[in-house]
Amino acid sequence: MMEQLKQQFPASDFSLLAIVLVLPLLGALVNGLFGKRLGKSGVRTMALTAIGGSFLASVVTFFMVVATPVAKGAPAARFVWNVWHWFSVDGQIGQKVPIDVAFSVDALSAIMMLVVTGVGFLIHLYSTGYMAKDPGYSRFFAYLNLFIFSMLVLILGDNLAILFIGWEGVGLCSYLLIGFWYTDEQKAAAGKKAFITNRIGDFGLLVAMAMLVYYAGTLNWSGLEKAAPSLVHARDVWPIGNLHASALPTFLADWLTPAQPWQMFVPTFIGLALFLGCVGKSAQFPLYVWLPDAMAGPTPVSALIHAATMVTAGVYLVARCSFLFVLSPAVMTIIAATGAFTALLAATIALAQNDLKKVLAYSTVSQLGFMFIGVGSGAFTAGFFHVLTHAFFKGCLFLCAGSVIHAMHVRIHDDDASQDMRKMGGLRKFMPFTHITYLVSCLAIAGCPPLSGFWSKEEVLGGAYHNTIAGTNTGLWTAPAWTGKAIFAVGILAAVLTAFYMFRSYFMTFQGSFRGWKIVKGYKSKGHDHHDHDVEDGAAIGGPLPHESPWQMTAPLVILAALAAVAGLMWAPLLKIEALKEFLAGVFKTASANVPHAEHSLLPLAFGIGAFAVGTAGAFYVYQMQRGKPAAAFVRAVPWLHRGALHKWKVDELYEATVLGMVDAMGETAAQFDKWVIDGIIARVTSAVTIELGNLLRKLQSGRLQVYAAAMVIGVAGIGWYVLVPHANANADEPRFARSGRLQLTAAAGHGYRYRWHVDQEPVPAEYTTKADYSLKIGRCETKTVHLSVQNVFGLTSERDISRCWEVRNGCCDAPKASKNGSSKSGSNKKAGQKPADASKARRRGKFMQRGKPRPARRAPRRPPAKGGQR
Amino acid sequence: MSSLISAWPAIIAAIVAAALPREAKPKHRAGLAAVTFLLVASVVWLWPDGSSAAVAKTASEDEWPHLLNLLIGLPLAGGVAVMFMPRQMLRLLRGFTYLVFGLTFLASLWLLTVPMTAGWHFQHIKPWIDSAGIRWHVAVDGMSVWLVLLTTFTTPIAAFATFGSVKKRIKEMCIAFLILQGAMIGTFVALDLFQFYVFWELMLVPMFLMIGVWGGSDRIKAAVKFFLFTMTGSVLMLAAMLYIVWTHHALTDVWTFDFLALMRVHLPGVEGALDARSLCFWAFSLAFFIKVPMFPLHTWLPDAHVQAPTGGSVVLAAVMLKLGTYGYLRFSMGLFPGPAGTYGPTLAGLAIMGGIFYGALCAWKQTDIKRLVAYSSVAHLGFVMLGLFGATSSGIQGAILQMINHGIATGALFMLVGVIYDRRHTREVSEFGGLAKVMPIYATVFVIVTMASIGVPGTNGFIGEFMVIAGTYVSRRLNQFSAVQAIGAAFGVILAAVYMLSVVQKMFFGPLKNPKNKGLRDLTAREGVALAPLVLAIFILGWFPRVLLARMEPAVTMFQKHFVSSFNQLPKDTTGAMLIDASRFPKPMLVGAPKVTKKKRDTTTARASADGRSGALAARGGAR
Repeated sequence: MMEQLKQQFPASDFSLLAIVLVLPLLGALVNGLFGKRLGKSGVRTMALTAIGGSFLASVVTFFMVVATPVAKGAPAARFVWNVWHWFSVDGQIGQKVPIDVAFSVDALSAIMMLVVTGVGFLIHLYSTGYMAKDPGYSRFFAYLNLFIFSMLVLILGDNLAILFIGWEGVGLCSYLLIGFWYTDEQKAAAGKKAFITNRIGDFGLLVAMAMLVYYAGTLNWSGLEKAAPSLVHARDVWPIGNLHASALPTFLADWLTPAQPWQMFVPTFIGLALFLGCVGKSAQFPLYVWLPDAMAGPTPVSALIHAATMVTAGVYLVARCSFLFVLSPAVMTIIAATGAFTALLAATIALAQNDLKKVLAYSTVSQLGFMFIGVGSGAFTAGFFHVLTHAFFKGCLFLCAGSVIHAMHVRIHDDDASQDMRKMGGLRKFMPFTHITYLVSCLAIAGCPPLSGFWSKEEVLGGAYHNTIAGTNTGLWTAPAWTGKAIFAVGILAAVLTAFYMFRSYFMTFQGSFRGWKIVKGYKSKGHDHHDHDVEDGAAIGGPLPHESPWQMTAPLVILAALAAVAGLMWAPLLKIEALKEFLAGVFKTASANVPHAEHSLLPLAFGIGAFAVGTAGAFYVYQMQRGKPAAAFVRAVPWLHRGALHKWKVDELYEATVLGMVDAMGETAAQFDKWVIDGIIARVTSAVTIELGNLLRKLQSGRLQVYAAAMVIGVAGIGWYVLVPHANANADEPRFARSGRLQLTAAAGHGYRYRWHVDQEPVPAEYTTKADYSLKIGRCETKTVHLSVQNVFGLTSERDISRCWEVRNGCCDAPKASKNGSSKSGSNKKAGQKPADASKARRRGKFMQRGKPRPARRAPRRPPAKGGQR
Repeated sequence: MSSLISAWPAIIAAIVAAALPREAKPKHRAGLAAVTFLLVASVVWLWPDGSSAAVAKTASEDEWPHLLNLLIGLPLAGGVAVMFMPRQMLRLLRGFTYLVFGLTFLASLWLLTVPMTAGWHFQHIKPWIDSAGIRWHVAVDGMSVWLVLLTTFTTPIAAFATFGSVKKRIKEMCIAFLILQGAMIGTFVALDLFQFYVFWELMLVPMFLMIGVWGGSDRIKAAVKFFLFTMTGSVLMLAAMLYIVWTHHALTDVWTFDFLALMRVHLPGVEGALDARSLCFWAFSLAFFIKVPMFPLHTWLPDAHVQAPTGGSVVLAAVMLKLGTYGYLRFSMGLFPGPAGTYGPTLAGLAIMGGIFYGALCAWKQTDIKRLVAYSSVAHLGFVMLGLFGATSSGIQGAILQMINHGIATGALFMLVGVIYDRRHTREVSEFGGLAKVMPIYATVFVIVTMASIGVPGTNGFIGEFMVIAGTYVSRRLNQFSAVQAIGAAFGVILAAVYMLSVVQKMFFGPLKNPKNKGLRDLTAREGVALAPLVLAIFILGWFPRVLLARMEPAVTMFQKHFVSSFNQLPKDTTGAMLIDASRFPKPMLVGAPKVTKKKRDTTTARASADGRSGALAARGGAR
């Protein structure tokens, strides 16, 4: 069986991926185009079959990857499917860098693919129940299928450009699904915010691709892995371009032009650009603001896209390009520090939220921070492990939340109110499946041994505690030893908070008594249209028992909860299970070489268990035993702290005021500038000037004969004056002069002109003659001045001095006397010893228009060709 | 099997005709089948290794020399023919126009049947005004062939869309469209500068009329502004043209306006100084920059677009702006490699700051949708120009691709704006909101086109943008600035998302507040048929850009190599004009150039000496 498969789908032409990819796309197309005609059951069948088929193909692929033996220390097995040549771009030395539509699967992408199609299938199933009454049923599944397709393209893309298709594709689907209920302006705005914030990250990825094309000359994974070591060299990053101190005013020059140009290592800025993409997609500080707003979408979407799959794409990318990131310890430290800061920040915000989905959203941001702590500290397998376990428990948590909201919707139709935990409580009795699965996932995320979250979080924090990133080059900056410990400490703190806020949400939702409405036995719904919204506050209204969800919704819950419980056993070092680590060893082989092996201690483990115990016990005491009284007392004692956390530390408002405000002002300025200044000058002012000139000239055409006569007289007088006065001009035969040094001058003819020529030092001839030509020989580098005077029939004379030098080598004619009209350029010309610019201008005119005092014009015959080589 | 593939267009056309709902009339079936046939045929012929394309084996023998004359002549003759048709017979007028457009499109597909090797194809040369050395010289290469196809592809769609909404002076509209198309094709294929200029100016007239006659309330002002702006550039270009022709004559004693001959003229000049060479470069380039339009010469564009009828806007955006970019690529870079290279980095900065950033910011703040799309054109063409200024092979390919992409995406956007304008007679964004509820198909198409416009990968916009950005990054011409400028250009993608998504959100999402929008009709079949080819093209080019790039690459590579070597090796500071030796050009580039011989040195008159020692320099072949 396996042998047959391998023959059918060889590693170099692995077209099995076509099934994985095409089915979801087909589902999206069919549901999108014919959804209305298919009806709900048709749409459901199509969507589920597509994802199910894709999942089965993924399973086969996964086992084929598993069954492919990899020699110890060899790079990971990779099955490539090269579909067609997409386009090529130029590399650094003008070589062609082909970019193909190609897909590949290795250990890393095989697992990820399994998660996406598997969890994706469960969430599709769940959605068939959750969205059953929605009018946009077919549209929803079309988008969801399209999302799975894009996500698979992201995971399976064999190069960064194909990954980028998926990367923006999932962003687009996320945009469409957040704004799924587009008639609500707020939801549509949340979609837009998500897309634009993601685009900031995409900008980073786009720049990274351009850089990689330039420096590495390839974009596909195996090529990049080969090229990675050669990237480690420094580049000047400042001063930028040809900014020189001389071009600036002094006070700026000291400031802007350092004595030594600032340098950066190539992997550092490539890494930073790539990481910007990850920050956007994986909602890290400072671009995390879109994710909590993204909860405006339907809850299954939050589970699938904004918790389990899409947002982990950033972590996936860091893991995928681990060989690039480890080259720069600085970038690795930035990644880990960003992760730690985000984990803590989001956890503090989650503490104060009352909206169940918001708590989970901030929890997602925080957990993504943990993943980045993992990959940033060189524990790539651990970071990726957390991606997996998180997909299960966070997916399950969100689906539970959806189930709860579904139940609350019976009587509370307002979206925000139906998600408010203050209206829930005691749901344990009414929703047993939801309760148990939520509890299991809660324990998992809080890090209760031996559930999955415990193992993955342990590995992540252990990685931060133990690892250091060694630079491959002595010039590289490496993080001081304490950074790992500091990040570990922050991580532990965030873990305590995680356990606390998760159990806070659990106790508020499932324990205690129900606060949603007054439960009336045998309550009959009056239907959606007739309920009145204004009485929907508190327990004033009556309603039926909250009900458990249908099987389509509970079955995925149970499966995911089971996975959340046992998935940790993929890699449990305490139990001597290292399956995941060994499976992924080939993928991270190059990267691990830069992470020196460190002695493992049990200290992080102890801290991890402690964090779980403290957090959970705290929540139990505050929200179960004391029914939230200590929390209320705390809020009264330090209201500002609570307000800060509740209002998300006002980060959104800060962005609004700074970045957005600035861009907005720039836009406004640009629009007004365009309207008044650009259009004003180019169109309005020119037209006004033209009109005024026309008016002016029209006045001249007055029709008054006297004016015309006067104009004629003035004109004739002017011409007469010109004729009366002699003009001493002469043409020179330049090419001949340049060749031989013989200057052949021909004086301009005129009415009755007679000429008198003489050279300096020669006596002045007494008589004017009719000889218009004059020839003299000028020696090498010698300067001679010819005096020409012209007399016309009226006896008026005019004089002209023509001074020339035969330049045979550069600069030998640079007379000490600076010429007047060349002065603006002369500085640079003399310095560089180049051909004087003024000379060339004079030459082109071919005449000597100078009047008055003699002055030496520097002549520049063309240098002999080829042999010069000065340029 | 191969016969089946070659029959594809017919088969799919038949299927489409049969699949129409029962109530469709035979006339509609036939029409739609014809359109489908053309579309499928174009897709099949586009494929580089497509069976139909493989029919022609050898290059020049199978090239029918009059094909380009036909492409120019058919619409022009059609335009003249319409003049003699009765203006009451609207169906005849429209039908005849469609027929001419269809034939032209079909004929232009023929261009794809030959292997697009580097050099000129379908070349046709005939003396025209012999005394001045003016010839009728038409040819396409891998760069211009796509623009010709873009013209024959979009003009019929624009005309089709226009006939749906314009009800007055149909006859004149037909004439304008036909002559416009002929003139535009002529401009793209002309290799004689005089001929180029004639078509360049001829093109202005129908567009001027379109804006001025069928335009909005402020149409006269917009039409005049459009005309004057373009005209200013044109006369500058004419002056520079004459100067080059005169210099060529001084060097060779041959009068010619032929581009291939004039390419060999190296005008005198000093690098960085404003003299003959750079002045001529600026004169040509300003004419093209106005047309593109580049900041700060762009203000005619929003006015013209806002006032123009839908079809006029589509043609203006899709094709006419490309004449500016094409002109810069062909003539400014071809005739003046020196200044084009020297000013490249500065102009690239202008394209980024003034085009990509400034255009995007202005677009964001517009309240009129058409104005917004017009400013987005400024931003998009900033990318195109950046690719040309960077002068790398992938940058130029990306630029040409981006020209096509912009033609398709922006053309489609203008048509979509036209759709809503026909229904509501307003284009103010604030008038709309929540349209997705009443016009779901319209909203879907709008979002798809928006995604193409902002360059989401998978649509055509991405390939062009990425090639330009990557080309900019590796560009040696932009040297120290290349990285900064590439990053700057990449930043443009954020701004593009900002302005396009804002307008999408304001128009389509949120509650349906305005009662006037309650009963709006969704896309009609007619509008759907007009938009479908464009949407199809968005995806085809997004996933298979090779169909264009493969045929473009040889020509672009040859052009770019020649440009770079010319820039590097031609003397930067010369005091006299010189004739560049023909051996410095790639052979295919000068095929068809008029015979000229260098003037003997002995015959140099005092006057020609002004142009320097041409003979000596040319013989050395620019050894510096």
